[in-house]
Formats: sequence, structure tokens, C-alpha cells
Amino acid sequence: MAAISFTLNGELRQESSVSPTMTALDFLRENAGLTGTKEGCAEGDCGACTIVMVRNGADRLEAVMACLLVVGQLDGAQVVTVEGLTERGGELESVQQAIVTQDGTQCGFCTPGFVMALYALRHSGETVTDEVIHDALAGNLCRCTGYRSIVDAARTACSVSGKDNINSRDDSNTLPASDAYEAGGQLYFAPKTIDALIARRVEYPDAPLLSGGTDLGLLFSKERQKFPVTIYTQNVDELRRIEEDDTSFTIGAAATYTEALPYIEAEYASFGVLIRRIGSRQIRNVGTIGGNIGNASPIGDTPPCLIALDSVLTLRGPNGAREISLEDFFLDYRKTDLAKDEIIENVRVPKLGNGQIFRTYKISKRYDQDISSVIGAFRLTLENGVVTAARIAFGGMAAVPKRAIGCEAALTGAVWSEDAVRQAAAAIEEDFSPIDDHRASAAYRLRVAANLFVRLYRDLEGADDVEVMAL
Amino acid sequence: MMDSVPRIEDPALLRGQGRFLDDIQLPDMLHVAFVRSPHAHAVIRGIDKQAALEVPGVHTVLTLADLSEVLTGERLPLGFGKAAGLPADITPFVLCKDEVCFVGEAVAAVLADDRYIAEDGAGLVVVDYDPLPAAVDCRDAMADDAPVARQANTTNLLATFDVGYGDCSDAFHRADHVIAVALKHHRGGAHPIEGRGAVAQPSPIEDRLTLWTSTQMAHEVRALVVKMLGCDEAQLRVVAPDVGGGFGAKFLTYPEEIVVAAAARMLARPVKWVEDRREHFLSAIQNRDQYWNLEIAVDHRARILGVRGEMIHDQGAYTPQGLNLPQNSALSVTGPYVVPSYQLNVSVVETNKVYTIPVRGAGYPEAAFAMERLLDKVARELGLDRAEVRRRNLITADQMPYELHLKARSGSPMLYDSGDFLECQAQALAAADYDSFPTRQDAARADGRYIGIGIANGVKGTGRGPFESAIVRIGRSGQVFVHTAAMPMGQGIATALAQICGESLGIDAAAVRVIAGDTDAISMGLGGFASRQTVTAGSAVHLAAEAVRDQAIDIAAMLLKTTPDTIVLKDGRAWDRDRPEQTLTLGELAEAVAGVPGYSLISHTTTSDAKPGLEATRIFMPESLAYCNGCHVAEVAVDIDTGAVTLLRYVVVNDSGRLINPMIANGQLQGGVVHGIGNALFEKMAFDKNGQPVTTTFAEYLLPTATEVIDCEIINMQSPSTLNPLGVKGIGEAGCVPAAAAIASAVEDALTPFAVRIDEIPITPERLVEHIHTQSSTSR
Ligand SMILES: Cc1cc2nc3c(=O)[nH]c(=O)nc-3n(C[C@H](O)[C@H](O)[C@H](O)COP(=O)(O)OP(=O)(O)OC[C@H]3O[C@@H](n4cnc5c(N)ncnc54)[C@H](O)[C@@H]3O)c2cc1C
Ligand code: FES
Ligand code: FES
Repeated sequence: MAAISFTLNGELRQESSVSPTMTALDFLRENAGLTGTKEGCAEGDCGACTIVMVRNGADRLEAVMACLLVVGQLDGAQVVTVEGLTERGGELESVQQAIVTQDGTQCGFCTPGFVMALYALRHSGETVTDEVIHDALAGNLCRCTGYRSIVDAARTACSVSGKDNINSRDDSNTLPASDAYEAGGQLYFAPKTIDALIARRVEYPDAPLLSGGTDLGLLFSKERQKFPVTIYTQNVDELRRIEEDDTSFTIGAAATYTEALPYIEAEYASFGVLIRRIGSRQIRNVGTIGGNIGNASPIGDTPPCLIALDSVLTLRGPNGAREISLEDFFLDYRKTDLAKDEIIENVRVPKLGNGQIFRTYKISKRYDQDISSVIGAFRLTLENGVVTAARIAFGGMAAVPKRAIGCEAALTGAVWSEDAVRQAAAAIEEDFSPIDDHRASAAYRLRVAANLFVRLYRDLEGADDVEVMAL
Repeated sequence: MMDSVPRIEDPALLRGQGRFLDDIQLPDMLHVAFVRSPHAHAVIRGIDKQAALEVPGVHTVLTLADLSEVLTGERLPLGFGKAAGLPADITPFVLCKDEVCFVGEAVAAVLADDRYIAEDGAGLVVVDYDPLPAAVDCRDAMADDAPVARQANTTNLLATFDVGYGDCSDAFHRADHVIAVALKHHRGGAHPIEGRGAVAQPSPIEDRLTLWTSTQMAHEVRALVVKMLGCDEAQLRVVAPDVGGGFGAKFLTYPEEIVVAAAARMLARPVKWVEDRREHFLSAIQNRDQYWNLEIAVDHRARILGVRGEMIHDQGAYTPQGLNLPQNSALSVTGPYVVPSYQLNVSVVETNKVYTIPVRGAGYPEAAFAMERLLDKVARELGLDRAEVRRRNLITADQMPYELHLKARSGSPMLYDSGDFLECQAQALAAADYDSFPTRQDAARADGRYIGIGIANGVKGTGRGPFESAIVRIGRSGQVFVHTAAMPMGQGIATALAQICGESLGIDAAAVRVIAGDTDAISMGLGGFASRQTVTAGSAVHLAAEAVRDQAIDIAAMLLKTTPDTIVLKDGRAWDRDRPEQTLTLGELAEAVAGVPGYSLISHTTTSDAKPGLEATRIFMPESLAYCNGCHVAEVAVDIDTGAVTLLRYVVVNDSGRLINPMIANGQLQGGVVHGIGNALFEKMAFDKNGQPVTTTFAEYLLPTATEVIDCEIINMQSPSTLNPLGVKGIGEAGCVPAAAAIASAVEDALTPFAVRIDEIPITPERLVEHIHTQSSTSR
């Protein structure tokens, strides 16, 4: 079978004996001898392993966590590590130089990761504000510097957008991605069409479906599981597509957060803000809404929003496609209606109709890169000061993301007022009986969920346009 | 010269060419994975290695019994050898013998061809455990009928001691007001982004082992490993490669380091162990859990008459290096204030959790938190401004040097050598617009926003002795070397030492090669802790460099046939001031005194009092700790719906004496403050009621990120220390001492309408919301 081909710092690599589920981090450090990329956690939480890549078929240079990627996912990509930024002994790249000038490194262990995150930022073409810098650095931990000097370095080096010298360095954009690979008894399939994907799924119903790998990656990275077969979804064009018509968006299951973000933030601003708070850029550059749904975690951030927006999933199996409302998809703790031979094809999210407003709030200890304790999502239809319809869903309050039926009922038909909102909030205790864990107590979850109703009211009344903070 | 030069450490680090422990690859190396206890407390009935040994690539599985043939003992000697009055059997075992005493304790080591195989093997070692009840909360563990943390114990109370002076009972009797607080300072850890790790390589040629380890103290590791292996110092070289942060977590010789060294000796092969993050959470040291009950006696003008109370310190399952952490806390309560009488009773309690030793701040932040919480309460109860209460009690500049009535660990009296604490606070208040804050606060409240300001002072003893040594040497190549036992791990110490050396020798810092963390480079030294290195190693380098300078000038004068007073060292050369065309490079000077067999040292001169080599070794012994001080003012906003705390502003005025490199100093301060922010708002090492740690990833144990922190506004005062030739004081820990106290004060201030009291660190949204809710159901 074919090899896995990619360029690494401009040089073509063709790997035919590496385990397809070896992490990119291990590959770089152990097989390629590039030890500049560091392991600080192997779980996507610290950013020490940040590298930059242009994925197969993409035209964007993106920061990603090497510890959560597997070698198979490198196929067809251009990969750049810290060693690739400078010639040996040559001048420092401008973000590196800025870090030196601003004293942005102390022990230096986190530094290559920060360098790569900033390198990606410099090439992103964004207008660099402090907010954007924080967003770009949210995935990188530093215990020494207290960040100030690194942020200063970003302010100086990233305000001048970099020339994308990656694409000019090699021609790997033309590298063909292979659709099957085998090494050491492990099979890795990366089908390019949806039919081929279904065929693999039918053939190997127990193989994990790998999308961005930001959930699954932990099995490869931390647990070091060696699955005999892995099926990768992100090479399927249909699954990467995002389509928009007059009434809805259809987001392919393998489209990344980064790809979906512009559509979502244009229509539902607060959902956009929420997406920017999922993990970090490195996570969002590969992670997908499809994966968030497939993972079926009770504290996944997007399902409550998608449920409140009345989204519909398209599932596809050997017998074709079927549609299911997202709220019916989640059956019980980590149990879904997905059959063993099916895949999630896309999620269709209705646009807001007349009089409809949408708000979502994520409650977590840190603003960025933190798992939620509570997510509340509200879609209200207001007509002449009366709530004519309400869809409200919460995450972190039950074994599955779930609608607050009692709250909805209390609000529906009511005159839009703080009083009505408080009454709806009071119903939260009948709708949910959350659990205590180290992240938050049941009492806290209930109280904050109730407070979110009041927050929603003030928010919509414009009395309080302060962004809801991480708790 | 002494200014913000770029760090010499940087270029390699930026290019990814740093050499950290995990970057070391040796041929024929075996990799270790440890089998760790899943129980907080259990008896080991047996260990079955068979299944692990059958895994292809697993080389061997070692238990304590297996290692005994190369070890002189079963448990580690007490670090630093001194801790009067403690029982002998309190240190960790190299590997567990017949009992496990915390989750994560190492039971056996699997050695394999690579790390993955070793981990697979470790998963297959079957340990037969008989679980025992665990001592989890240190307060409960003090009860007579509490389960013991270790079966050899009859009580969990490891030690009690009293610290104090003056007549407290009289003070409390005379007091106009007596005010009490009950506080909790939560555990939490160091969490350098690089974890621990070690590589040992037996020499194929000599009877010698090299141990690379990610440590803050190469020489102390060598001493302990020499003891454990029963070898001598020439048979063991310990090298700390680039160290990716320490903060206390690497200021200890760990059982794992002994296992790696012993296994390499036993198997005559290189052996490597690099921990993963979960292992770090389970088995690297943590910081505390301290419960304080304190009361303060003040007169009608809020002047302190006395402070007294008790503190319970959670020591964890073992005591690897004495009681320095609770001792530091106990000794630093009075901080920058005049406290005429003081009494604290400390109980050190063993529990079934990983052991504790000092982390950045080393007991001082806990003490500052206690004292500052007391003073805030005094202000509230007497209706005074918080800054005013402090102003009335701070030690004044004309009281310097100020002798405390306490004795340091070393037995020497504690003395503040210099500083102006009142001025420091005044500058901080001015910078933070403290006086206008009430107006801003009222305006915000009218808008439904809750903002608050907090203030806290702190001192930190730095430059701990007894000594540090340095060699300065000019090679025949002309290269200038500094050899030091100081340990670079992010503080820019190599740059600072190079600057100090360069200043004496007339060369750029970048031209100095600093060789640190290598026991072959210098025979003794203590390493990196207690913000000591610029003070101690810096002073030693200064003394040595001055000596080499004098030698070089003498030799240049001889060779240039002039007198020493006309020679200057500049740009790597010796110049004759009167005849600028007459110069010699440092290399030529070194060459001139290198010696040729049979000839006198400097053969073409008649002078014969030149000494061979351009080299000097100097030891610096500080008389006592150099105290730095600081005042922090924090401004926060609290979201009353969610309990979220946002920092709006943070002002630091710090006095660490003369600054060698202000840029590095400010970086250290910002880093220290952010560590304090983490402790105050985010970092929580949670255990369940059975002693199972539940926060063992960076997703659960939250460090601050760039978004959460704030650029501190930093003002440096520079009151020179009188205790060392450079006038310097340490700075590495200064930032984190008052930080949590300042933030707590600010949060409490923001929530004044709800009468919320902050008596615990970390401040969780959960508790805030609970308090706010309770109060607002009655008052809102
Ligand atoms: C550091 C870090 C931070 C994170 N922060 C957040 C956060 O803030 N909020 C949040 O909600 N999540 C967070 N996550 C979790 C994760 O990023 C999200 O759940 C993400 O959406 C998963 O997408 P993925 O494409 O990476 O999924 P993968 O890991 O590839 O897959 C996840 C699951 O979905 C299944 N799946 C994937 N595609 C399909 C398909 N087409 N059909 C059927 N099943 C499929 C997979 O088999 C797997 O079970 C974080 C993860 C990390 C590592
Ligand atoms: S190693 Fe920490 S994010 Fe990859
Ligand atoms: S410089 Fe040490 S972790 Fe960032």
C-alpha cells in the first residue's frame, strides 16, 4: 500500500513503515530527530507541541497540536516545526527575534510552541489586537513569564503580516493523499468520497471514525492505544463542505471550527463567541462540530446551541441517508442513535426567523480553553413584547445536552419582562437535577443556570452588554 | 554594563536547540515506566511480574528487593541531612516495600526498549493490594481514632512546634480589639511545563556513571545518589541539562532518580525515565494545605499589639527534606509590620497524599495571606481604610536594619537589612489611583458592576546561605568561563552571571561561557532555590572575576613592561592606557602564564611572582537572608451572576535591591505574580474522600493563560542590600508572595454589598455565588 507523504520543513518525507496512529509529536521527536517540538502534557492542554501546517488541499497555514495529531493526518500536508523557521546559524525569524527582544522566554521549554503559535498568527492576515493575540495564545501555557513579555512580542512581530513563505518553499500542494495505508499490522483508511467512507464503515464497524482527533487523539496520545483499523473522515470533500441557503446552513461533519466560524458568527454572534472559546486555535483548526456531536459529551459546547436552534442531523449508512432532530440523537450518557454502520454526514442549522433572537453562555473557570461547567442556549421569538416561542437547552445539567422544557413553557406566551424571566428561571430545578463534580457542584450549576435567564434579559434589554465572562 | 542586555540563553531556546532532558538520546538505552499505586493507602501482598516480562521488548521489571543488591538503603536519606528532632523513618522509599501511602507512589519499574513498551509492561504488572483506610484531610487526621497514614505510625502528628516572642497574653489582655480569622490555603503545585526526568549512562571505559537529571540542585542529587549507591563522588557525575522550570518541584532528589541511576549501574546500560503530566500530578511534590486560626490584638488606633494562633500543615505521606515549608510560613507571618508579640503553634500532620516541600514563594505567600486577611478585618471592624491600617503598622525606614525577635532556621537572628516599606506602599497606592477608587467603585455599582481594590504587602527572605561558589577562568583560547553550581532554569542566571563577570573583565556578557549544573565543573554548591542565585552565586562570581581581573592586569603589566595602574581591560584585551598601540588579548595573557616545562613561568621577564593560570575560585557566604519587599494593589471585577473574577489592573512596587538586569527582573516579577494569580483564582488540586486525586491534567487543574492575566504595572525601588558586595536581593519569588492576598482583598471589596468574606484560596466562583446568593436573598 501507499506511503504517507508530506513535506517537513520543506523536505519531502515518504513514510511507509511508521504506525499510522503514532502521534505527530512522537514522530517528530523520535523518528525525525526534531526535538524542538516539546511534550508538556500530551493531551492538547499546554501547547508546547505546537507546529504549523498547511493541510492537504488547504491554502491556510494553521497552528496545531502535534500531540493530538496522528501521522496519518499528515498525509499530503506541509508541516513546519520550529527548526524549519531558520537556517541553522542564520538569522532568527521575526517572531523569534521579537521574543528575544521582549524577554519572552525564561526556561525556554514552552518557547518553541509559542513561536509556532505566533508564526501562524503572523501569517493569518488578521488585524492584531490584544484580543486576537490572547485568542492566538490561549492554547499555550507558560509557567515562567506570566505572558506579558510574550504578548509584547506578539504586538511587535505580528502586527506586520508575514509573507507566506511556506507555499513558495515547496510544491507539496500537489502531493496526492493516499486513501489507504498499512504499517505494522495497522490499517489506516482516508477515503475521499462519502460512498467510500460508508463502505469502510460497513466493512469495519468497530474502527474509530477519526475526524479532527481532538477527542480521539487522547486514545492515541495518552492511552497509546493501537487500533488495528482507523477510518479518517477529513479527506471526504462532501463532509468538509459548508452550504448556505435562505433558511439554513448545512455544515459538513468534518468541517473544522475554524472553517465554520465565519458562517456562524455572522448569523448568531454569541454562538460565534462561544466557538472562539472552544479549546484553543490549535484545537479549532482541526476539531469539528461533527466530532463534538459524535463525542456525545454532556458538556460539549455546541450541542446545546444546535438543539436550541432546532438543528437536524443527516446520518448516512449503507441504505442511504436519514434525518434526525439533534435533540433526539442523544439517548443517554454518551449514547446516541447512530447505528454501527452509519456516519454523521452533516448538521443543518436553521437561520434565525423574524423576531427570533439567539444567545448562548458558556460558564467555565477560565475564559479560554476550558471545559464548561454549564452551557445555556436560548432561542426566543418575540412578537410585540410577547414571547411566542422559546427553545432553551443546557449542557452540563444532565447526562445529555437537553432542553429545559419547563422553562420554555413558563416563558412561552409571557410578556417579555424581568418577572417572566425570573419565573422561567425558577422552573430550572424541575427541568434538571445535575450532579456534583470537581468542576462544579449541583447547587452551583442550578444557580448559575437560573442566573443566566436574568442575564439574558439584561443582555437583550441592552442594560448589560458586557460579554458574559467565564465564570 | 549592568542593564537589560539580551539573555545569552535565548538563541538556542528560540531555535528549538535547547537540550532538555527528554532530548537526550543514547544508543542502547532502556526506558523506564513506573508501576504506581492506585490506592491512597494499602498493604502490598505481592507483585507478579510475569505477564509484563512476557511482553516482547520488556527487558526486566525491578522491585525494591531487586534493587537492594546495588543500594545501601531502602529509603532516601533525609535531604540536606538536618532536621532536628524528627524520627528516622519518615522519608520516601526508593520503591514501595510492603505498603503504599499515596496514589501514584512508585511500586516497581519496568525497563524496556522504548517508552511505549515499558508502559504496556507496567500495565501488566499485577500488584496484589489490600486497601487500608486513608488519612485524607489533615484536620481529621489529627483525631485519636483517625486512620494512620503509615502503618508504622501511632499518630499522624509528625511534629508540633511553637514560634514566637514577646508577651502575647499581656498584649491580648491590654488590647482594645481582638479580631480573629480562620483561613485555608489550599495545596496546589509547582507545575513547570517540563516535567521531571533522568537519564543515567554508565561509562563503558571508566567505573563511572553520568546522571543527567532535570533538577534544581545537581550537587545535592550527587550527594544523595552517592550515598544510595555506596560509591564515591568521582564515580558519579550529575548534570542538569537545560531545565524547563522548577519552582520547587525539582528541588528534591526523587526516588525515581535513584531507580534510574541504580538500574543503569545494575544493567550496565543507559536508562531513561521521563514522566508524563499525570505522573507529575501524582508524584511530584505539592505545596501545602494549611489551615490557620489566628487572632490579632490591636489598640484603639489599630496598632498591632500581638498576633497569635495555630496552624495545621498537611505534610503528605513522607518528609523528604525536613519541615522548612511550615517553618518558613510560621517565621514570616509578621512580614513588614511591627508586631510586638507573636505566638504560633504549628502542627505538621501526615496524610495519604504526595509529600509537600516549598514551591515558588516557599511558605511566605501563605503567611502573607494570613497577616493581610487579619489587617483587612481590623480595618473593617474599626472602620478604617485598609491602607491606613497598614501605614500605622509598617516598619519605618529609620528602623532599618530591623531585627526581628525571631531566629531563622539556621539559628541566626532574622534581620531586615534595608528597605522603605512605607514609601513602597505609598508609591503603589499612587500608581493605582487608590484614593480615587471609591468614586470609580460607586459609579460602577450604579451601573450594576461590582469592582474592588485590594492591597497587600509582603517580604521575602532571599539569597539563602550558607554559601555558593564560583570559578572564573580564562582559557588559553581566550574564552572566559564561569563555573557555578547555581542552576539556570529560566531565571536568566547565566546571563546575570555573565554580566557580572563581564563587568569585571571588560567583555560583553555574550562572550562569557557559563558552565552550570555540572558536578564536574565545580566541586560544591547548593543550586537554585529561595531566590538566592544572583545574591549568592552572583557575589561569588563577582569576587572570583575581580581576582582574575587583578591577575590579568598584573601579568599584562609585566609583559608590557609597565605598572598595573596603567592597564585597563576592555573589549577582551589588556590596554596600556599611555600607549594604546600596546595591547594583549586575554588569550595571550592566559598563554603567557600557561607554563612551559623547565622554564620559569614568564620566561622573557625577570619578574617571577606571576602565578600559573588565569583562574580564581571564590566562595560567597551571606551573613543572613537579604529581604526584598513589595506592595501589590489589585483591581478586580466580579460577575455576581457567575462568580467570575476579572483582573482589571495590577500594580507592583517591588524592592529587590540593586537590579543586575531590570528586564529580567520585571519578567521574574510578572511570572511570580501570575503564579500568585493562579493560586488565588484557578489552581486546585482536588482529592476525593478516599484520597484519590481528581485533577490530574491541565484541563482539570487550571493554570492561568494569557487571557486571564494582566500586564502588571511594575515600579522598582532599589534599596541596596548591605549584606553582599553587589547590593542585590532575590526576585524570583517576590511576585507571588502578596499576590493572592491582594486579590482576596480586592474580591472582598468588590462584594462589600453582599458582605462576602474570603477566607480560602483558591477563590472559587462556586463559593462566591453561594455567598452572594445567601446575602442577596435577604438584602438585594
Ligand atoms: C485541549 C482541548 C480543549 C477542548 N476544549 C473543548 C471545549 O472548550 N468545548 C468542547 O465542547 N469540546 C472541547 N474539546 C473536545 C473536542 O475538541 C471537541 O469535542 C471537538 O469538537 C471534537 O471534534 P474532532 O473532530 O476533533 O473529533 P474526533 O476526536 O475526531 O472525534 C470525536 C468523536 O466523534 C466521532 N465522530 C467524528 N466524526 C464523526 C462522523 N462524521 N460521524 C460519526 N461520528 C464521528 C468520533 O468517532 C469520536 O467518537 C477540547 C479538546 C481538547 C483536547
Ligand atoms: S504536549 Fe501539551 S498540547 Fe501537546
Ligand atoms: S519560559 Fe518556562 S514555561 Fe515558558
